[in-house]
Amino acid sequence: MALDGGVRQAFERVLDPADVISNPVKCRAYECDGLTGYRVVPELVLLPRDAAQVAAAVRVCAEHRVPFVARGAGTGLSGGALPVADGVVISLARLKRVLEVDPVNRRAVVEPGVTNLEITAAAAPHGLYYAPDPSSQQVCTIGGNVAENSGGAHCLKYGFTTNHVLSFEVVLPDGSVVTLGTDTGEQAGPDLRGVFLGSEGTLGITTKIVVRLLRTPESVRTLLADFPSVAAAGDVVSDIVAAGIVPAAVEMMDTLAIEAAEEAVHAGYTVGVPAALVVELDGPVEECDVQFEQVKEICDRHGCTRLHIAGSPEERAAIWRGRKAAFAAVGRISPDYFVQDGVVPRTRLAEVLGRIADMGADAGIRVANVFHAGDGNLHPLVLYSAAAGETERAEKLSGQIAELCVELGGSLSGEHGIGTDKACSMPKMFSRDDLAVMARVRSAFDPQGICNPGKVLPTPRLCGERPGKYKPHPLEEAGVIERL
Amino acid sequence: MTTSTTLRPDDLRSVRDALLDTAGTVSITGSGTAADWAGPLGPVDAVLDTTALTGVLTHNPGDMTVSVLAGTPLRTLAEELASHGQHVSFDAARVADGATVGGLVATADAGPAALVFGSLRDLVIGVTMVLADGTVSRSGGHVIKNVAGYDLAKLLHGSYGTLGVLVEVVLRLHPVPKRSATLVVDCSLDEAREHAASLLGGQYEPAALEWISDDGHGQLIVRIDGTADAVSGRLQRLREVLGSGARDASDTGPDAGPDSGADSGADPWARHAALVRGAPGLAVLRIGAKPSLLPGLITDLRADTVTAGLGTGVATVALDPEAVADAHALVHAAGGTSVLRTRPPGSDVPAWGPPPSALAVLKAVKNEFDPLGRFGPGRFAPWLVTPHDAEGSR
Ligand SMILES: Cc1cc2nc3c(=O)[nH]c(=O)nc-3n(C[C@H](O)[C@H](O)[C@H](O)COP(=O)(O)OP(=O)(O)OC[C@H]3O[C@@H](n4cnc5c(N)ncnc54)[C@H](O)[C@@H]3O)c2cc1C
Repeated sequence: MALDGGVRQAFERVLDPADVISNPVKCRAYECDGLTGYRVVPELVLLPRDAAQVAAAVRVCAEHRVPFVARGAGTGLSGGALPVADGVVISLARLKRVLEVDPVNRRAVVEPGVTNLEITAAAAPHGLYYAPDPSSQQVCTIGGNVAENSGGAHCLKYGFTTNHVLSFEVVLPDGSVVTLGTDTGEQAGPDLRGVFLGSEGTLGITTKIVVRLLRTPESVRTLLADFPSVAAAGDVVSDIVAAGIVPAAVEMMDTLAIEAAEEAVHAGYTVGVPAALVVELDGPVEECDVQFEQVKEICDRHGCTRLHIAGSPEERAAIWRGRKAAFAAVGRISPDYFVQDGVVPRTRLAEVLGRIADMGADAGIRVANVFHAGDGNLHPLVLYSAAAGETERAEKLSGQIAELCVELGGSLSGEHGIGTDKACSMPKMFSRDDLAVMARVRSAFDPQGICNPGKVLPTPRLCGERPGKYKPHPLEEAGVIERL
Repeated sequence: MTTSTTLRPDDLRSVRDALLDTAGTVSITGSGTAADWAGPLGPVDAVLDTTALTGVLTHNPGDMTVSVLAGTPLRTLAEELASHGQHVSFDAARVADGATVGGLVATADAGPAALVFGSLRDLVIGVTMVLADGTVSRSGGHVIKNVAGYDLAKLLHGSYGTLGVLVEVVLRLHPVPKRSATLVVDCSLDEAREHAASLLGGQYEPAALEWISDDGHGQLIVRIDGTADAVSGRLQRLREVLGSGARDASDTGPDAGPDSGADSGADPWARHAALVRGAPGLAVLRIGAKPSLLPGLITDLRADTVTAGLGTGVATVALDPEAVADAHALVHAAGGTSVLRTRPPGSDVPAWGPPPSALAVLKAVKNEFDPLGRFGPGRFAPWLVTPHDAEGSR
């Protein structure tokens, strides 16, 4: 069933008709997000120019029961911004003003289409910055970050998007406009702000966001260390934590990821080593210096084969360039790849990496690993060649890796979200009742079910029989937790 | 109904059974340290006492997470964690009075450490709850980074026992600082505001920054957390910016300095906690507003006692009960939030200010989670009027 002409006219009454895109060629630009395996060409794409137009467009959707999908920069990696058939895409790309930077209260007020890095750029003259730093920060929008509760390398110490967003204006799925959150950490009633954060565009559209800004740290110390094994690098992470140090970031890369990154950006990583760690500390000079010595000593103790300390901002930038390029760089060593985003308790890192290696060997598929070691968030890159007919095997392996993380007491996703990609895996992590209660939340916000339908929660249509099957959580099997 | 049954379940199953086996309204209670916060509880058919739900379920020190049954007093948990050099970075005054983990979450409480670590909404990574119809629901998990599914812990944070019974709570832990040192300066709110501006505007990284006032005697309290040697240097920098009025007040932690010549006997943080608790005969109001607006608001409120987080924008003030209604209005006019804590017995003081713009969402969530209005009738009056509050009106 296609949208009828009356609906289009209704949109054209509330937006400039030129901002209502129906040309299929133009609409095709919106057919997928960063997870390009899933594509749906939307019927219409709406390009509102301000919050009032967003609300007016959503009111038309509500009136005609037209499903809508909000879209930021389209860098999402779980198919969250995938259009829905017979629905419209509402792009927030034109809401891109930084409305206010308030250095006294250390916060900024921005529209949802502002990119993550633009916030920091606006804050920098005041010695402030916006802490969550997804690798995609140059292009991804704060609206998308709020929807995904995005993380980044520095979230180990500073927390995720949810810890840095005070409040936002939301157009609810009925077109009404409300504010969730307050000017402080103090709430009057349940934290509706917090439940909206990370809801992947399923509870409404943000049109204005108030973020906290932090003072740029006085001192930053960064090192790159090579290790004879992934296990040794993992032990370093554990010992740093056991020493009571909370690093700003601890990132790990394995041989394949290092090789790819070096080939792409020549950042000075050692090609061929089994594992490399990037450790960064920041804070007051005195603290940083003391703890940096401790970290160096821990690296030595675990057989570090090369320790490179960034001696200048340029050297530090190079280390990070290597790390941040790793994702895209695997394109150089493999024609195609899937990225997974599972999380395991940090103490099970070595175990999970061993098992992933075995699973990859069994499937005859290479897996490169680059990940946030400090918080156990893996990013296994499953390398395959579609031309060689490996897609299905790779996809299966990729799903198995995510589910393995759940089995080890972790999560399907640390930052990329469930979206379309992992909705059918949700029953591996949550029981039918857990999911039903989440559905109650959704229906409190969106009783008509028109806001990004089919994402996050599994539906029989998408997942067939799978939602019925639930495997006990390992803690449950061990009798530590019980499910009734 | 005049008498109510008390239910005291000790595990998840018995919580569920207690709710399935009873009908009517239920008050969920912990150790009772915030029983008179928010709206006055209406008459209930049953009291669900969570204090038998105690104990650590899992604590893997290497992961720096712990899961506990929600009736566990946080101070008991703290004692268990201390031997591992870990703690929950959370210091609400009620912790020392035996407040339970679940009760602290449900009341969205927080202390001075919120300046760096936020409140429990920032530290809870997973929950198991039971809804009024007996449904058991989990969200989050046991890892600090996790975006799978909606974060229902947030809904319970600040729910005052109206949405569900928290049974299990998983918390993120942090290392106990090797050393925590506090400086105090006797000063007016205006002077404190200036000091705060320089501290927050420079590279000092205070762990807590509060101004307290009692009987017209104001004091700024600043804490620095870190490693033993580094703290000495940082304290010196702090003294330079605070001027000659700054005194060493306390120095604690495993590596507390030899120069810990804390000269004043009374711990300023104990005094702070006492002021948060309030004073007999007075109403206590918790307010939040943009930090830049907070000092002005506090001045206008003419409170008897004050604790004010100059970086967090969160203050606790003790007021004449008669002044509470106007205080809500003042705070609201400044774009802030306010909630009543401690209602002097017998007084009829409004618990909440004007309703938030998202009231309809709050009502819809309540209706989805607890359509019969079993839990905590009255807590959000007059915002939420449940079927039980207004017999027959629906
Ligand atoms: C190379 C690369 C590296 C990445 N690295 C990271 C990383 O380190 N950490 C990380 O967390 N993520 C990372 N991502 C994923 C992605 O960048 C984030 O999820 C980001 O937050 C998406 O923002 P976006 O503007 O592109 O949103 P989109 O992809 O456009 O949308 C994402 C979701 O948000 C919803 N949405 C968008 N705007 C709004 C709005 N205003 N209101 C309501 N809902 C909205 C959409 O409906 C969709 O569900 C990476 C992606 C790429 C391609």
